[in-house]
Amino acid sequence: MSTRTSCFGLALAVASTGALADTAIAPVHPLQDPAALKAVFAARIGHPVFVLRFGLGEHYADTLVQNAAASDEFDRFQAIPGQPMAEGEPQKAGGIDCKQKIAFADLDLAAGARALAQAREIAAANGYKPLENVELGADVFCKDFGWRAILLTEGDSNAMLEITWKPDGSAPKARQMRDSGWSRVEMKNLLAGSAKAPVTAAKAEPAPIAGDGRRRNFLAGIEADLARVETQVGAPLAFKHIGIDATQLSVEVFPPGTKKRVATWLVNDDGDLRLWHEDDTIAFDCNKPFAAKDIALARLPELIAAAPGLIPAMPGAAVKNVHITRGVFCNAPSIDIQIEDERGYGDIEYDAKGKLIKAEVR
Amino acid sequence: MLRALLLVGILGAAPLFAATAPDSVDYAWPNLTDFFKQLAGRIPPPVKVFRLKLERDGKVDLWIQDQAQRDHIDSWEYDHGSIKGPFPVKFDHYPTVEALDHHVIELTTIDFPRLPGMLASAREKLKMPDARVFLVELERGDSHGMLTFSDIPIWTLHVDSPRHDGRVEFDLGGKVLNVDKD
Repeated sequence: MSTRTSCFGLALAVASTGALADTAIAPVHPLQDPAALKAVFAARIGHPVFVLRFGLGEHYADTLVQNAAASDEFDRFQAIPGQPMAEGEPQKAGGIDCKQKIAFADLDLAAGARALAQAREIAAANGYKPLENVELGADVFCKDFGWRAILLTEGDSNAMLEITWKPDGSAPKARQMRDSGWSRVEMKNLLAGSAKAPVTAAKAEPAPIAGDGRRRNFLAGIEADLARVETQVGAPLAFKHIGIDATQLSVEVFPPGTKKRVATWLVNDDGDLRLWHEDDTIAFDCNKPFAAKDIALARLPELIAAAPGLIPAMPGAAVKNVHITRGVFCNAPSIDIQIEDERGYGDIEYDAKGKLIKAEVR
Repeated sequence: MLRALLLVGILGAAPLFAATAPDSVDYAWPNLTDFFKQLAGRIPPPVKVFRLKLERDGKVDLWIQDQAQRDHIDSWEYDHGSIKGPFPVKFDHYPTVEALDHHVIELTTIDFPRLPGMLASAREKLKMPDARVFLVELERGDSHGMLTFSDIPIWTLHVDSPRHDGRVEFDLGGKVLNVDKD
């Protein structure tokens, strides 16, 4: 690319348009007159630059440019159709992670307009959301400089279709992001409308089970609410983790018959109970369940109440939360109580039967 | 009381703000003399500084070790003549008394009148003559840049301009330790 020549070419061009800078008005229909849009940007910028990014749509266009004569000077210019263009906004050099660029003279806005039209055609034919604009620039890895359109779907917020073109609008390519990663999609299929956007049925949120109106303090006891969770699960609870604070009880359990899934049940202090989340277990995590009989549940309120007094150096401390798990080494479950005062935290650990293991300032 | 008066005397002998310094035109250095005088009326010396922050808007946040209970750090805030504190500082992990004793900096060893000169030096080193103060910090630690284990009190002047951010570290004597520009 003859970047050097192009920059000096632009310098000559802008010398003659410099007087127009203060009256640079963006065209009313920039997609229909991309040459006029480019001329307005050139006049407003007023000196040779490289283009790092250009966003193009009919309602708005903006660009990030680098001064060809000062490589650490970056400015952003914006154009609103029919409006005078404002001066550029200086940009922090440290905030520019990717410096892939083209000379302004090589900026082909007509190619961008064609790319946008094609992307909109594909969106309409395949059920994607309407597209606002296309963008010229590098990808997230600071490679593949070109025009880029991102098409999103109504039904699946994780799915997207990316279409890219070279800066001159040639060589369009498409790929689709799904849960499992990127996969290439043929442009001819997209243009034919035979590569429909993925549709995922909205998951129905399970309704919470209302409480009895009694205000709870879970630090004073959880047995009654564990029984309610057990009723919902329909089997003795196989715990992975029990988390307690004053206003919420969180219970992670393995559903009956599997150690490959874990469900998280939440009980709020007004007694509302709901299945919050269910997901696959993590392979290297401790996935060995423990049962209610394995821990000193009946003594739990007493152990929690006694915890702050076990660290004399924190006389005003209160219990922040309680966790019951097998820990990272998958040992017998332990009861870990975190206390806090206005200056820090303390940790108290009991074994599953309520024997004190440690009590120390963190 | 005698020690408190002594501290005020020391502070009075060395002005700690530099509104008249040529390099301070764009940063109204907080009136640290007033701050420390007010502080001396509330706590007895020695004042041992864990951390000091001077913000762009002139607010000051000073963390000091409680000499009556040396494992406690308290925050004192100064905002254009108004002092507030102490506020207990909460750590994720309680530092030991020994660690705190090592970390703190005796207030009387800090040469505050050097600050305007440090700002001028920072602008020069960064080649940012128009740089504005964003934050000035003092705390013991290791200088950035090359791997160092200096573990000394370090002034860090954070400055910015429309196009760049910069940080320059100085020791208490005003020697430049590290220059970093984005």
